[in-house]
Amino acid sequence: MLKYTIKRLLQSLLTVFVVVTIVFLLLRLMPTDYYFTEDELIKLTDEQKDDILQAAGLKDSAFVQLGRFYAAVFRGDLGTSRRIMNGKPVTEVIGDRFGISMRMGCMALIISLLVGIPMGILQARHKDGVFDHLGTAYTIFINAVPRLVSYSLIYILGVRLLGLPAMYSTRQTTTSSILPVVCLAMGSIAGYALWMRRYMVDEMTKDYIKLARIKGLTPRGIMFRHVLRNAFVPMAQNLPTTFLLTIGGSLLVERFFSVPGMGPLLTNSINRYDTNVVQILVMLYASMGVMGMFLGDLLMSAFDPRIRLTGKGGESR
Amino acid sequence: MTTQKRLAALLLIAALLVSVAACTKTPAPPNTGPGEEVSDPNAGGPQPPVTQTAKELKNWVTYLTTVNEMETFNILYSQNNKELQVLTNCIDPLITHDSYGNMIPAAAESWSTEDNGKTWTFQIRPGIKWVDYQGNPMADLVASDWLYGLEWVLNFHKNEAKNTSMPTEMIQGAAEYYNYTKELPEDEGKALGLDTFLTMVGIEARDEHTLVYTCLAPMPYFPTLATYNCLYPAAPALIEELGVDGFRACTYDNMWYTGPYTITTFVAENEKVLTKNPNYWDESCKRFDTVTYKMVESADVAFQMYQAGQLDHVDLTESNLTTIYNNERHELHNNLAEARPTKYSYQIHLCYDKNLEDGVTPDDNWNKAVANEAFRLAWYYGLDATNYLSRTNFINPQKCANYTYTMNNLVSFSDGTEYTARVRELLGINPDGQSFARLDAEKAQAYKAQAMEELAAQGVTFPVQADYYISGSSQTALDTANVLKQIFTDCLGDDFCVLNICTYISSIANEVRNPKKASFYINGWGADYGDPQNYLGQETYGEDNAYYSDAYSKINDATDPQLIDTYRQYTQMVNEAAAIVDDMDARYEAYAQAEVYMIEHALVIPWYKNVAWQVTHANDYSKIYALYGCQTNRFVNWETSEDAYTTAEYDAFAAAYETGAKQ
Amino acid sequence: MTDSIQTMFDEMPDQGGRIYSTDALEQMTGDSEENLFSFAEYHPEEAERTGYSDYSYWKSVWRIFLKKKFAVAMVILFLAVFIFSFVALAIGKYQYDNLVPDNRQMFISPNREYWFGTDNIGRDYWCQVWYATQTSIKLAAIVALGECVVGVVLGCLWGYVRKLDRFFTEIYNILYSVPTIIYMTLIALMIGRSFWIMCITLILFHWIYMAKNVRNLVFMYRDREYNLASRCLGTRLGTILSRNILPYLISVIILRLALSIPSTIGYETTLSYLGLGLDVNTPSLGILLRNSRAYFLDYPYLLIFPAAIVSIVTVAFYLAGNAFSDAADPRNHV
Repeated sequence: MLKYTIKRLLQSLLTVFVVVTIVFLLLRLMPTDYYFTEDELIKLTDEQKDDILQAAGLKDSAFVQLGRFYAAVFRGDLGTSRRIMNGKPVTEVIGDRFGISMRMGCMALIISLLVGIPMGILQARHKDGVFDHLGTAYTIFINAVPRLVSYSLIYILGVRLLGLPAMYSTRQTTTSSILPVVCLAMGSIAGYALWMRRYMVDEMTKDYIKLARIKGLTPRGIMFRHVLRNAFVPMAQNLPTTFLLTIGGSLLVERFFSVPGMGPLLTNSINRYDTNVVQILVMLYASMGVMGMFLGDLLMSAFDPRIRLTGKGGESR
Repeated sequence: MTTQKRLAALLLIAALLVSVAACTKTPAPPNTGPGEEVSDPNAGGPQPPVTQTAKELKNWVTYLTTVNEMETFNILYSQNNKELQVLTNCIDPLITHDSYGNMIPAAAESWSTEDNGKTWTFQIRPGIKWVDYQGNPMADLVASDWLYGLEWVLNFHKNEAKNTSMPTEMIQGAAEYYNYTKELPEDEGKALGLDTFLTMVGIEARDEHTLVYTCLAPMPYFPTLATYNCLYPAAPALIEELGVDGFRACTYDNMWYTGPYTITTFVAENEKVLTKNPNYWDESCKRFDTVTYKMVESADVAFQMYQAGQLDHVDLTESNLTTIYNNERHELHNNLAEARPTKYSYQIHLCYDKNLEDGVTPDDNWNKAVANEAFRLAWYYGLDATNYLSRTNFINPQKCANYTYTMNNLVSFSDGTEYTARVRELLGINPDGQSFARLDAEKAQAYKAQAMEELAAQGVTFPVQADYYISGSSQTALDTANVLKQIFTDCLGDDFCVLNICTYISSIANEVRNPKKASFYINGWGADYGDPQNYLGQETYGEDNAYYSDAYSKINDATDPQLIDTYRQYTQMVNEAAAIVDDMDARYEAYAQAEVYMIEHALVIPWYKNVAWQVTHANDYSKIYALYGCQTNRFVNWETSEDAYTTAEYDAFAAAYETGAKQ
Repeated sequence: MTDSIQTMFDEMPDQGGRIYSTDALEQMTGDSEENLFSFAEYHPEEAERTGYSDYSYWKSVWRIFLKKKFAVAMVILFLAVFIFSFVALAIGKYQYDNLVPDNRQMFISPNREYWFGTDNIGRDYWCQVWYATQTSIKLAAIVALGECVVGVVLGCLWGYVRKLDRFFTEIYNILYSVPTIIYMTLIALMIGRSFWIMCITLILFHWIYMAKNVRNLVFMYRDREYNLASRCLGTRLGTILSRNILPYLISVIILRLALSIPSTIGYETTLSYLGLGLDVNTPSLGILLRNSRAYFLDYPYLLIFPAAIVSIVTVAFYLAGNAFSDAADPRNHV
């Protein structure tokens, strides 16, 4: 177990390293004009632009910059932002934001689990009933209508009819979080309900369930002792990743409601050629990604005794 | 797997997740200062609070789109309107403007020159305090603070080459000092004090309240530069406290203020609140208690928020404007208010040395055509901009019409005649507000025929292909370009000239301008200081500082002798005007002649200026209005109203303003 | 959460190959217990007959698929929309290539002259919508096919060749652990935006999910006895993969293929909103939707038409894909 853990962690480290290096080098292929604002592009001459890039250390060769970056990271210096907020340490830029994203994401996650899973179970138990059809219709609607459109609808409904705040505010976190959380949860509720229903319907027809029924277990008992527990195994694998990714925030929702979270930071920092921020963000996301996978495997093995994690092979499945 | 192992795995996961969760710090509540002395503009719900007794608004709530979020709090470092519009409220310049664009004293009580503008002396107002963001006095503002400010700007390692172009072009020794610091190693550059700087650069503090600048040459317009952020002060004690890197990266809560407001709340991409500075020197000026900026996703969201009562002002998009205007029963139908022109003057900048799409081979067809004056004049007299103008101003398109190169209201003659009015008079253009006044179908036809005949003789094939580049991601640009293309078809005919709409990916400079792939650009220039030189000097032939000649028209690479002669003549006229420093009327007249010469030869074709519509609770005519520099967005002496102003009220404001201007 | 980063259907947890047999099993248990058993009569002649079945895989697939009336209806609806997009352009009063802006005609609601109304600069919306429909369907189809071909080929290799496992797993980690939006942004800013760039980038980042599904299944079937025997007899790798293993994968492949089309269309909408979608000169439904966001409160028809088409296409593929993959599972053919 320990050996396996260490091996997986080392592998994860390697993955993170590869991802960060790739993105780092790709960034250096971007035109440096992104470093300038439109106001600047209209008035600066090429010579002035060169001077500014040189002062920012962006004129050196990509590999020199890469070396400098890793040396700094090794010393524990994650650098400062250049254009998200000039001179502000990247850790602070991210630190200010990810709490908000995470809180909002977790709220949405909890809501979608609390609503989605019972919804799926109910649908499965009353298969082909009215509720089932309603649930399916909801799922299809959510998946069929582009997010852009459904968010706009929620926005208009919430702001015009219910008078909810149109944008997130740090003064009234509760009311102003309602619309973004609803938007976030809306999709994943459908996802969890759909999946749960499928799983239940599948599982209920399996031989061991029949056996359990013959043994005289109540349907409720079967549900909790067998079906739900088994249903949780594949979900367990995804849960840590889902949880960790809440930190990343949602690009669309956070942009829509001006939530000062992590979502828009990534595209903004790329658009503005704020390389230090991009690199650290990528590092963060990659770490979350591999860590999520690893935790998922651990969690799954904890719930399903048939799965063993060994040092052999890269994958446990 | 045994139960123990399973337990171990679970514990491990729990530990890791908890550690992650522990790292997430809950965001600190926005700091509104000690004792919460700052009233919360949103305390009473979404509606901006309004004191029932006074009709004027005490708090102002406005918005910006999130792409316009500030990137720095250091006013010396910023080169963008998005930061300057906030920061000019935080630190006072030497000189500011009134609502008519006249210069009025700010940190400088008075200013003067004794040698026709070679040296300028500013008397700094005593008793101004640097305060922190909560309004606590930190230090006195003295003349030497401007020395530290200019040293900071010119020091390559401190300000990273930002904002250097104006000072290096105007102040003695500035360019030398900049180059000197550029050669130094980074830590030496950052360690520099004032010693070397004072020996090299033409600036001195005679005493605590006397500041003297020495220009490169007599510059009668130098005070107008003193409104701009490159000549702002810096507090040495603050630089000392924060260190060089810390000062460049100063934040709203560690920087010092001298202006009418301090920033008391800042949540990136969400909200910022400016609060009245309790220690501001000018107690007589009218200020809001707080000004709140909400950062919104788009103009459409802003409109929704205005309708929900969450904003005091909103700029109208094209579709909002059309809808409201066409629907008499719309709740905002009577509240449409026309904004004042922005400082940008848009021109069709022709490219005189264009390449084909490969970026290497010269496009002979275009280059020959554009060198022909009749060809250009056919555009000048033929193209009707009206439909293009309605994209911005559907109701009064002709308000957006632009007939001069220099923006209106930049400078005036001593008898009150506005400079561009004089230019229009010389051009013989009298706009009636109904149609695009420059048009002359007969002349256009004649020039078209002449051009086709002359050019056919030179082997030019018709229709001439004109390549026009837009950003590949901008739908608005595409819509506008399509309108423009239609204008070419309607006005000049497809046998003469055809517009091709091309797209670039990211950088118009790298992808289009440097390989010279576009036939023309439509671009706006906003002045940095108040003199026609800032406009006309950009188009001269064979001069280093002529930005448009260098970056857009590429006239210096052109070969047609007749065209070059025309440009030489124009350049000479500009330089002669620039040399007149003792008689401003003569100077402006000379500039006007040069500008008329440029326009009548259609070297550049004036096209458009920006006059949009809005719904607002503020009277724009009471605001600072200057067509150069960065003072326009100061929230001082605004007239506001609890109810949105009506169109009729706004018309009255405009009329009153006009009468005021004549007095 | 991950709405923008993952495509919408990826939000459902990975279910392996297990879930597609629902209906068959439901039928079995749906019968009441008494009906499950009955006595067979003895016929000597019948007992002598050898077993024969005219079973054909594809025939069974069709038979089962056609039973699902709603799915069939959706497929027909989709085909109708697709074919009509060509007809519509032909019968429309305006040609897409010759659209002319006219500010006297802007924002006209649908009428007899402009069947879908006009847009913000007074151009006919009908031909724009159908032109965009074609672009979007073309894009989605190319991406789906590309993903499928690349994903299946590489997925088979991944699953079958043990040495490559480590390599592919690493690629999977690299692509999966970072939000794709990073790569999409970088590519859009570096290379630009065009139809083919978009196709290639989408394939480049999405094949891996198909490959992973395929790999897991190949893994399952690789070491079954008949494959072992086949290998011992010297059958070539390609033959084993294509003859022995691929048929098991068809239902999964078809499901992913069908779901990939709506997910590409949805993804394209999101990218367009972020300014990372197609070039403005090649309008897609995503671009129309993005543009209409600014106007839809006052002029809802600008949003409704493209949104309706997107929804029809999405629902059609979603339902038909599920039905077809059920039908393609041999275990449902009994």
